[in-house]
Amino acid sequence: MAEKLVLFEHRHLPGVETAAVYETVGGYEGLRRALQMTPAGVIEEIKVSGLQGRGGAGFPTWIKWNGMLGNPPGDRYVVCNADEGEPGTFKDRELMLRFPHMIVEGMAIAGHATGSATGYIYIRGEFTEPADAIRRAVDEAYERGYLGEGIRTDGSRFDIHVHLGAGSYECGEETALMSSLMGERGQPRAKPPHAPLPVVAGLWRRPTLINNVETYACAPHILRRGGAWYASMGTERAKGTKIFSVSGHVARPGNYEIELGTPLLELLDMAGGVTGGALKAIIPGGSSVPILPAAKCTDVRLDYDGCRAAGTMLGSGGCMVFNETTDIVKLMWVTARFYAHESCGKCTPCREGTRWMAKIMDRIVQGKGRPEDPDLLVSVCNNIDGRSYCPLGDAAAWPIRASVLQYRDEYEHWVRHKTSPVGEHSVPKVA
Amino acid sequence: MSQVEFVNITIDGTTVQVPAGEMVIESARRVGIEIPHFCYHPRLTMEAGANCRMCLVEVSMPRKNPDGTLALARMPKPQTSCSLPAAEGMVIETETPMIVEARKGMLEFLLINHPLDCPICDRGGECPLQNNTMHYGAATTRFVEEKRHPPKAYPLSKYVIFDRERCIHCARCTRFASDISGDAQLDFLKRGADMEVSSFRDTEFTSLYSGNVIEVCPVGALLSRPYRFTARPWDLSTQKSICTECSNGCNIKLDHRAGKLLRVNARLNEEVNEEWTCDQGKFGMDYASHEKRLRRPLIRDGAVFREVSWDEALTHVATALSEAGPAAAFLGGARSSNEDLFVLRRLFQEVLGSQNMDHRLGPAYPSAADVRAALGSQSPTPIAAYERMTTIIVFGCDLAVELPILYLRVRKAAVRRGAKVIECQPSSYRERPHANKVTDFAHSSIWYEPGQETAIAEALAHVMTGGRDPGASDGASDAAASLPNAVAEANVEFGSAIPRLDDGPIAIIIGRDVWSRSLSVPATLKAAADKMGTPCVINTYACSVNEQGARELGILPDGSVQASAPGLNADQILHGLKDGTVKALWVSGVDIASQFHDPELVTQSLEQAPFVVVTALDLNRTATMADVVLPLASVAEYDGTYTSMERRVQRFHQAFDAGVDVREEWRIAANVGMRLGVDMPYASWRDIFGAIATSERAFAECTPDNLGDGGRLLADRNNEDSR
Amino acid sequence: MTHDRTDPAYARRFSPDAVRELEELVARYPQRKAAMLPALWIAQREYGGEITAEAMEEVAHRLGVPPVEVEGVASFYTMYNLKKRGRKHIEVCACLTCAVLDSASVIHALEQRLGIKAGETTADGEYSLSEAECLNWCEAGTVVQVGHRYYGNVTAEDVDRLLDDIAGDPRNDVVTHADTVVRVQLRGGCKGRPRPSAEVEADRG
Ligand SMILES: Cc1cc2nc3c(=O)[nH]c(=O)nc-3n(C[C@H](O)[C@H](O)[C@H](O)COP(=O)(O)O)c2cc1C
Ligand code: SF4
Ligand code: FES
Repeated sequence: MAEKLVLFEHRHLPGVETAAVYETVGGYEGLRRALQMTPAGVIEEIKVSGLQGRGGAGFPTWIKWNGMLGNPPGDRYVVCNADEGEPGTFKDRELMLRFPHMIVEGMAIAGHATGSATGYIYIRGEFTEPADAIRRAVDEAYERGYLGEGIRTDGSRFDIHVHLGAGSYECGEETALMSSLMGERGQPRAKPPHAPLPVVAGLWRRPTLINNVETYACAPHILRRGGAWYASMGTERAKGTKIFSVSGHVARPGNYEIELGTPLLELLDMAGGVTGGALKAIIPGGSSVPILPAAKCTDVRLDYDGCRAAGTMLGSGGCMVFNETTDIVKLMWVTARFYAHESCGKCTPCREGTRWMAKIMDRIVQGKGRPEDPDLLVSVCNNIDGRSYCPLGDAAAWPIRASVLQYRDEYEHWVRHKTSPVGEHSVPKVA
Repeated sequence: MSQVEFVNITIDGTTVQVPAGEMVIESARRVGIEIPHFCYHPRLTMEAGANCRMCLVEVSMPRKNPDGTLALARMPKPQTSCSLPAAEGMVIETETPMIVEARKGMLEFLLINHPLDCPICDRGGECPLQNNTMHYGAATTRFVEEKRHPPKAYPLSKYVIFDRERCIHCARCTRFASDISGDAQLDFLKRGADMEVSSFRDTEFTSLYSGNVIEVCPVGALLSRPYRFTARPWDLSTQKSICTECSNGCNIKLDHRAGKLLRVNARLNEEVNEEWTCDQGKFGMDYASHEKRLRRPLIRDGAVFREVSWDEALTHVATALSEAGPAAAFLGGARSSNEDLFVLRRLFQEVLGSQNMDHRLGPAYPSAADVRAALGSQSPTPIAAYERMTTIIVFGCDLAVELPILYLRVRKAAVRRGAKVIECQPSSYRERPHANKVTDFAHSSIWYEPGQETAIAEALAHVMTGGRDPGASDGASDAAASLPNAVAEANVEFGSAIPRLDDGPIAIIIGRDVWSRSLSVPATLKAAADKMGTPCVINTYACSVNEQGARELGILPDGSVQASAPGLNADQILHGLKDGTVKALWVSGVDIASQFHDPELVTQSLEQAPFVVVTALDLNRTATMADVVLPLASVAEYDGTYTSMERRVQRFHQAFDAGVDVREEWRIAANVGMRLGVDMPYASWRDIFGAIATSERAFAECTPDNLGDGGRLLADRNNEDSR
Repeated sequence: MTHDRTDPAYARRFSPDAVRELEELVARYPQRKAAMLPALWIAQREYGGEITAEAMEEVAHRLGVPPVEVEGVASFYTMYNLKKRGRKHIEVCACLTCAVLDSASVIHALEQRLGIKAGETTADGEYSLSEAECLNWCEAGTVVQVGHRYYGNVTAEDVDRLLDDIAGDPRNDVVTHADTVVRVQLRGGCKGRPRPSAEVEADRG
């Protein structure tokens, strides 16, 4: 199999980030079609397409959109999650730089489908260039009538405001994103069964739709070419295409759009294969998902079920490839430090547990590990997993636990010999 | 209010019916199961809660099978019972192996950075963290790293010390500050394991309610500075009492040891103070075990006092009073118990034949009869009832200072229930430095200069009764345009438009400075509310702890049905002492030399007075000018009742023996009476309270035994003949 | 706690332009407080690249929130400088992919060249150096962010060229960074619901 280009079809078309060029390849046709349909009709099309959220959890998109419709009248909001912070993921970044209008169009479609007049796009603070691209697109979209009242004839309107984050991974979690957007500390808010879903009571307790950049980017294509067409791609239980960000020890790192269900090793081939030695492991879906040793990579298909069957997850599609020089313990030390740095601090297990794990890992890679440390790590992970306020705690526990279970010998080597099992040229280096 | 819906849920095998939406942690209590927790607090909002993760339970919900039958589906993750609303058919398990494990894990997390300095922690012995660790924790630690070491014992304010090391980040204090007191001076800074509670840049925590965070903190992180290191909780005895710092009648607990009052904590009373105290109440009651307490009666001997026996002192007093007879007078009493006042009144009316008595210390008060005439009869209004007001007008009253606990209710009414609060305040209140101001939640704030009160009241009444721009449709009246001339001339600054008042109960709280100068303010507003046709409460509140009791018991020149002619009021009494028409003065429990509106007059009068007896806790300024000084028992040292601002009679109990020769004022008065030949054979507060209930209409339904822990509202004045 | 918005004691450093900018941002949300993050960006610019206590008080006053809440927000996010930083802030990604592609050697080389450790600022106040969490351009690891610019595929050998490049370019300054962020933010997406406040109207004359 090769790449299957839907979102990226015109990736190399010069000027595709401008409205004028974007329009020449079908841009804003989806929105025009949507505006001629009823909200329910648009949502039906999304339902037929089988689109699932591309932000990590793979939740069926139409159910969220549909959930907005049941609410009593009043203000509602469409929010685009452009906080892309999952280590190993950089697809939203490229989408925003190359196809900002696709995102604007997708949000406008969602605005019509859910009866919302206001959209916010929450872009992580570090992404100044993507944010610039989006702002230019928003301006152009106003000029051309795609935003504001513009091409609408029913008196409705749709506005998009850019909102910049300021440095916090947790703000990608949808309820923390809402806190941040409302001017608060980026800490998560209650969800079912403790509180209603955001589509019932989100921003300012009003119905709020939150989707990932890539999810919105799919909407124009589905509306333009039909849900059935979209559903013809992918597998029975995972429709369409998905962008994977491939990085690490590969010849051609970058974003690859493939049909869901494509074998993992084919994706690896597309990226030019492993460099600098034999394949050791792959983390297929961003730093939050369990690591796959090379031996387990062979049969994995890249869809939600396939990844789950292999003991990992599709996540956000941040596929990181590691060759045999990679020291898994040091890799996980970097991971543990990341989560300790990004824990918001609200709940006990994540606040204390992530810092504790980072300290244990610090010790191990400094040659001060103790024989009981691998078991202690697993136990700490178990005490976080499933018990934190939001899934960041789980996301910190899963990869570490999986690494101890899969690479116990490497941990034991570190503890016993105070050095890397991979030898002195192991990566990453201890800074 | 909508009908409460009930659902059936099963907790550890017991099925129970609970209101839908009740938090499962509460439902569990109904079946006798206490789920361990730290951050949960029923009065604090959930938004920042559910963070300690200690109260996890396993939850199963009924799901429909394809064939229509019901099956239980267990949720994949445990859920926090403190934030889980009960729903029909829910099945809760609180002790599964997974939950036991989870609790152990959570405690381990909480303790890895906790200093474990329980032996030197004030909270030791009454610490939820300590207790839960005993019950649910592991015996050993697996944490070998360096702990966090933020500064210890950081003084946040005059009263509160913060030991950051011990903080478990439960957000109770920060939620108290934002949800309850509303000053929002505490919040979290930073994130992750570096997160910490702080005031802005560590500036002083100036909330008038700061002491409550000590009580809500589940560990020894927030501590009382006065109490620090004074005792271990298991060495303390506790007694139920009433706060004497103002007239709210807050229910408190006195913690004491060896005849010393060491700590004041709130005692739950949903109708009055819920579970809060103000700082004045919590930290201001140190007088009870103050070193300066009087120990023996004193008699003036030229320029100095001589310690004497009670017998000698009382004989002296009895002689002087009987010589004065109807020319004797009585001032103060607003801090004495109902029983004290009743016996004192009998002494003056029956024994001496004098109606010269006044508990009021402010200037030129309207007489009791004037007040009744202006306002008509008033029903008692519990503090809790303010929560249900639609409109609350605060007129010339720095609420958080004068009625701190009522302030919390008014704020709750505004913030949680959407009541419209309108404040009309002297513009000097704007500069008051404290952190709790009605302005923060008021719908409108109207600032005036002294002297403009009547004009403001008229303007408000004008708006209330519909004198508004008829075109105004947005709810705000065009008040300034349609106001009476008086207001326009007064050039009053209207902070913002006065809102259109909704139908529904109105409470009007009027400061003493306002109504004591001019009854027309309450009268105008009352008339306007009556014209609107809405129920209206006018609160011309009492200030001192038992000032309302003094009103009820008629410690007033015109306050008694027994008296044929009115006696002298406070000013007249003091002038009478100067010109010789008043021959003896009894000052009860109040330092009139400092607190009377005209201290100069007090000094002159007392200097020229033929005879002055003062009852007091310590040698205050008035006492130094007396002929006889009698040492009083403090509230912690005897039993009795007070009547609070809302006309609630409440019991206070003796906590300890002062260890010095002090007496209750009623005992003193009865003894003097006996020496003058009138038998007042009271053995305890109960006897006197029984007598009050028999002779005073308002107290008719009270008995010493039916006051309960929460007190009892006096009978409606409507049923009372005018006195 | 609300402060009196007309009280000059709290309005210290925001220029009339900045006030107008803030009010236009405020108009995008149903509540003033929602403009907290943009307001802090503006404050960081107006106060010379550092969010001082006065800056937080000014934000608190302009948005009508308690100052400690502003401090809570400002200290939560990593991109607000609560301490003075160098004019150019060099952030080297040290997260997974970049770590694997040897970002440690880049950091090391920069430390040598600048004579400071990661987390420090040069004595002349020109450069700050930090390790960053994933900057999410992993295909180009090692990634370095300076001000609003990203540099990709950086190796230890590139460090001299990197420093030469950023030295002369004011776009890399921390202060300019905030400036760009906020000013550019204004260009896009503010056409909806124009609701200038009285304050803005006054500024416009
Ligand atoms: C810790 C954490 C970080 C997340 N970060 C992101 C993110 O950066 N971008 C994103 O789109 N979703 C992120 N998510 C997922 C969102 O919570 C949410 O599921 C997603 O935005 C929903 O959009 P979708 O339905 O289109 O996938 C994160 C989730 C967690 C728990
Ligand atoms: S100080 Fe106490 S109340 Fe406040 S967060 Fe810490 S543990 Fe909780
Ligand atoms: S790991 Fe460095 S940019 Fe992704």
